[in-house]
Formats: sequence, C-alpha cells, structure tokens
Amino acid sequence: MSKRIVIVGGGVGGTMLANQLAGKLYPEILRGEVSIALLSNSPDHFYKPAFMYVAFNLFFQEELKRAERSLLRPEITFNVEEVTRFDFPGQRLKTRSGKVYDYDFLVIATGCVPAPERIEGLKEAGDHFYQYEPARQLAQRLSTIEKGRIFITVSFPQTPNVPHQCGIAPVETTLMLDDFLRRRGVRDKVEIIYTYPTTAQLLRNCLFLQRPTGEILPSIFEQKNIRFQRGFTLKRVDPDKKIAYSEEGDEQSFDILMATPPIRAVDAVLESGASQAPNHEGWLPTNHETLQVYGLENVYVIGDTVDLPVSKAGGACHNQAPVIANNIAAEIRLGTTIAVYDGRVQAVAQMGLNAGMPLWYDYQHDVLPTPPTKLGGLLRHGFNRGLYWAVARGML
Amino acid sequence: MDLSNESISPAISPVLNALMEKLKPLIDGGRLDNLVDLLSLVSDLVDLLDPPMVEKLAVLFENATATTWSVSNAIRTAKADSTKSEQPPGVYQLLKLLREPDTRRGVGFALKTLNVIGRQL
Repeated sequence: MSKRIVIVGGGVGGTMLANQLAGKLYPEILRGEVSIALLSNSPDHFYKPAFMYVAFNLFFQEELKRAERSLLRPEITFNVEEVTRFDFPGQRLKTRSGKVYDYDFLVIATGCVPAPERIEGLKEAGDHFYQYEPARQLAQRLSTIEKGRIFITVSFPQTPNVPHQCGIAPVETTLMLDDFLRRRGVRDKVEIIYTYPTTAQLLRNCLFLQRPTGEILPSIFEQKNIRFQRGFTLKRVDPDKKIAYSEEGDEQSFDILMATPPIRAVDAVLESGASQAPNHEGWLPTNHETLQVYGLENVYVIGDTVDLPVSKAGGACHNQAPVIANNIAAEIRLGTTIAVYDGRVQAVAQMGLNAGMPLWYDYQHDVLPTPPTKLGGLLRHGFNRGLYWAVARGML
Repeated sequence: MDLSNESISPAISPVLNALMEKLKPLIDGGRLDNLVDLLSLVSDLVDLLDPPMVEKLAVLFENATATTWSVSNAIRTAKADSTKSEQPPGVYQLLKLLREPDTRRGVGFALKTLNVIGRQL
C-alpha cells in the first residue's frame, strides 16, 4: 500500500522539506508507492524575515509573498487546509473544513506565533516586527518619532534552553534602527536602549544568547551611542504611563517599546497533548539528532516548533530538512533512520541598514563574530530579493 | 617589503616566508601582476554594486531559476506520464487529455506566451 507523507505547514521548513522529499523519493512516487501532501492554512507563502524590513519601510507586502503552489514541485499535493486536531494513535489529522487526512509519516512544520498578550500590557503598548501588520504599525511610529526614548526588550520562552524567534533579530533591528534614525536626521534626539533578560538560555546577565557575540556587543553599541542594559526581564507594561516593569524590580519609561514578544506553538499543536513544555508553550519533545518527536510513532518536527536550543529561523530549517528527508526515505527503504542533525544554523545577519555578517553555529560551536561588511550586506540583500525563493524550492 | 626586517615578529616570519615561496613562481613569471589587477577589478565591481543593482540581479536570478524549475518539472512529469505505457496514446486518449483543466490551462499558457512574444517582435 502507498505510504502517505503529510507535511503540515507551508512556511519555509515545510516547503523546502516537501520539495526535497519529492526529489529523494521520486522513484517511489513514480511507482505510486509514496504520496506527499502539504497542508497550509494560507494559499500564500511569506518570507518572514522581510517583516523586519517592513518595520523600516524597506519591503512591500507584495514583494515578500508568493503563491505556495508555485514553490512546490508538481508531485506534491497542496491543499489549503487548517489542521485543527492531531490524532496521533489513529495516524490521522482533522481540518477546519471537516476533512480527515490519514498519514504514514507526519511532519509538523507549523512554526510559532508571537504571543504579546502573555505579558500584561505588552499587546496594548508594545510593538514588534515578527508579523506584517505589527511591523507596519512599528514603521509608522519609527517614521514619525522626532524625539524621545525607544526601549528594546527581549522575552525568552520559559521552557529551559529554548530561544526566542530568530536569535540575532533584536541585535539586527537595534542596529537598523540606529541607521534609520540617522538617515531621518533625528538620531541625536532619540535615545535607544537595548536590554536583555537575566536568563538567556544557558547564559546569565549577558547581552546575547551566545557568549562570543555578547562580548563584542558593548563596543559596537558604544560606537553608535546605543545604551544597553543587562538583567531586564519584561514583567508587565503600563500602557497609560508608558512604563515597562522588569522581574528584577526596575521600571523604565518609553515612547516606543520595540519588543521581541513571548512566542508559542500554534493552537492545534498546543492542544495535541504531545508537548510537556511549561507555560503552555507547546514545543514538541524533539530527538535532537533524528528530529523525530519523542513518544510518537512516525512523527517528525522541523523549524520553530522543536524544543531544541537552536535558533527558530529558516537557517535552522535549511539544515533540518535534508536530515528529515533522508530519515523518512531511509525508514521507507531500509526500515531505520540514517541521518543526524548536528544543530547547524546559518544566516547572514543584517548589521545596520547596509552591512552584513555571515554566520554559522551548531550544537558544538558558537557563532564567531566577524566584522560586518558591505559585501555581507549585499549578500543579505541578494538573498532577501531572490536567492530565498530558490532555497524554498529546494534548489539551494 | 624587506622580509628579513627585524620588526616582523618571529612567529609571523615563517608564515610570510612560506607565502613568498608559494608566490615566487608567479612573481618570476610576471603573473602576479595579473592577479593584483584581478583583485582591483573585483574591488571595483564591489564599489559599483549598490542595493538597487543587487535587487535587480536577485530578481533576475529568481525569474531565471523559477522558469528553469517550472519547465524542468513539467518535462520530468510529462516524461514520466508519457513513458508509463508502451503504446503511444490513441486519438481518443489525446482528446480526453485536452478535456483536462490542467491541459487547457497549459495550452492557454503556451499560446499566451507565443502571443506576448509576437507583441515584442
């Protein structure tokens, strides 16, 4: 009987994995022994890192999305269906439209969602750049502020050793903000304060979640007259007084609160009962090598929904997708998994509006920061505008 | 540069010596000049590249890769379907294929492509 592989989620992880699986299992697909279906709650695919650029008026919505169908190989069945329930023992899914999908292999690629409502007052008074509409609102504010105080906070999940979305994003946007306000000619009247919480995965009282990068940040910030403060874990926000309060007992006023908000898994994953993550965050217990979900049969997870200590970013998916594709192919052909994820993540960090810093790390190695360069910035620009879509198609 | 200069630290001089040894054949043949010129050219290109040009090149890259991808997908799938049966399709089967929405969309696309090519002639 034909093996049905169902991938849930049309983000970059699900999309590149579906394409790589279609290539890997092409002989079986031709013989009708394997079928691949991808379910997504949207007909469109969004290049999520571009939302950060939207906050600085550098990307139009029309430029950051493509039809998901146009990014998938024709061998893949694509249905716009929102999965509402996972029935793991029965190996089937239910969707909002009432359809039922049976699977032999399931890949959960549903990502994560910002949850500013989890901190009192943050949804009302804070801004972020992890979705389109909030990023547009932030762009309006950043484009009109003439003087005052922009306060930057970062909230980590409460699950131990799990990072917030895209580890380098708060640093990138802080440096972009500095350049943006200089271009507008108001930087000398706007104070920027970058803060970081007391607990950042395994580190304490630092400015970044990896030590080597954290150690070079003070000199970078000092050169640009960006103030920085360790040990500020956002506890609540008073929207009327515009004051952010920390767990550590500090209180800081702001005109714009640019926050990296708490995050959680999507509803269907939260309600599936497969996660034991604290604070109802929903991260799935992930085998850090095979990327299978512990306690479930024939279920893999890719991208933001894992409970691994690696960045919740496309650069992680890019290295996880080949591992899952090889493991599912090997389970079908050999009856066992063969590939191991080494925790590798790569990216080109946007260090200000013009400079870029290529970086990589894995379970064993931290990022070794290098001086940001113009060429690095152009590489990132080229990736944003063209290379990304070839990556999603599984070509790069 | 005088490599025997005492100002070069003892730790660096073996590295420089090894590098010079590697470069010596290029210097002797007068070919190092070409490499230096090439580096200058690369540097000039970096100076000339600006974000709008990179954006245009990136969009060109996307268009080229997306088109190649779509065409190769179509050829691969059509080849697989066409070679499933040893017999060539009969007239009735061809007509049946024409009735399929995907075929009509594909034919429409091909005709529209020719139409736009015609407009540009």
